[in-house]
Amino acid sequence: MTATWGLRCPRCGQFDLVEFALSGKGVVAAFTLQNVPADEFVNDAPYAYVLVDLDEGGRISGWMPTVKSDGDLAMGDRVHWVVSYKPGVQFEKDATASVASGR
Amino acid sequence: MTREAWVLGAASNRFGKMKESGREAASRVALEAIDTAGLAPKDIGYTFVANAFGLAERQAHVGPLINTALGIPEVPSCTIESACSSSSAALHEAFVHVAGGFLDAALVVGVEKLSHLDTLTATSYFTIGADYPFESHNGATFPGLYATIANAHMKRYGTRPEQLGSVAVKNHLNAALNPHAHFQKPITMETYLGSPVIASPLRLYDCCPFSDGAAALVVVAGERYPNPRTEPLVIKASTRAGSIADMHDRPDLTSLPASQRAAEAAFRQAHVERSQVDFMEVHDCFTIAELVALEDMGFFAPGEAGKATADGITARDGKLPVNPSGGLKAKGHPVSATGASQVVEVFEQFNGTAGARQVPKTNLALAHNVGATGSSASIHIFGRR
Repeated sequence: MTATWGLRCPRCGQFDLVEFALSGKGVVAAFTLQNVPADEFVNDAPYAYVLVDLDEGGRISGWMPTVKSDGDLAMGDRVHWVVSYKPGVQFEKDATASVASGR
Repeated sequence: MTREAWVLGAASNRFGKMKESGREAASRVALEAIDTAGLAPKDIGYTFVANAFGLAERQAHVGPLINTALGIPEVPSCTIESACSSSSAALHEAFVHVAGGFLDAALVVGVEKLSHLDTLTATSYFTIGADYPFESHNGATFPGLYATIANAHMKRYGTRPEQLGSVAVKNHLNAALNPHAHFQKPITMETYLGSPVIASPLRLYDCCPFSDGAAALVVVAGERYPNPRTEPLVIKASTRAGSIADMHDRPDLTSLPASQRAAEAAFRQAHVERSQVDFMEVHDCFTIAELVALEDMGFFAPGEAGKATADGITARDGKLPVNPSGGLKAKGHPVSATGASQVVEVFEQFNGTAGARQVPKTNLALAHNVGATGSSASIHIFGRR
């Protein structure tokens, strides 16, 4: 699977590509907290730039404006795609099934 | 390869903030490189220019401006673009033409001027070198992209911030002895660890600076210059390779396949072993990039370069000096001048003109230059006559 524009598979050269719908759900493979953004994101910094392993396979770039510190996110966290008027593919953390803190 | 190609002359200005325009700086270092080689501008058969962000100065097609300034307007030129590996790509073109018998002497000039832009504008310009709609448009900057590499490397191999810091401390120490360097001041581990986080886990001192600068090389056919005035660098290998453009489409975040491929090809082409390399200039746009480069090129096993650096193996007086110039990290990173400037360092080391940063052994050296997040890479191996 490729998460950029292409006419062939970047890994194997296969041209018989199939388009399919994604659930938009996945797991954080790696991330960074961007304290110094590029111009389009200046009003949202800090935010996380994330690489997400999608449930259907493949990995995609996205970003998370609600992540404001390194402690807000971890590799392996489940995230889902949200609709936004802002640029790019925006993710949010899934609501946790059980409340971890004793507050 | 049909005949031997040499780097006969090399020159660089001081990286940092240039008052003059890119074309002026480029022309000055070009003339200096030609002088060093003992040639005249009229000996040049082609000028290969690297100036990826020339549009930031509202100037494209800078080759004819340089040739006009050198008094050789009739000489052909073109601009080669490969993001941060633009001038090593230009050197590769010069090598192919000279070794292939199409040119006897070629000029390679790399130049960049961005200091008139503020940090936000410069950061934004640089994102054009990534996959703009699919990476940059999701908030990734270059520090951010390399930060995800660091993130994955730390998770997989247990690489520690102090190991990244040891790259920064080493390269700043080397740059302090380099008159071409942007930063000529050593830093301590405390300064490194106390610097602000730019894109976690990368701190300010993990990142190369935005620098202006210019560097030039003269590449000639050795057989045409039987009595060279300098100690020429014999180009034993000149290789380039690519990777899947987007990091998110690559199977592994902890290595740059283009570096692996270019290294394999380079050692095959040069007929030398890794153990024969005396010192290296390596693409350390971020500290993590130096570690990944050393692992990708096969000098250390994956995950081992951090420890080796912390142990001093890659220090100037270590077993395998890496970035005696100070690297991109501290010498500075004027995008399109960087690849050529790595070769300027090799040239000065081979000619014994590196002053206090002179490394002990200079028979075989390697220069490794990366474009973007490793979607392009160049490797050159240099030996003696």
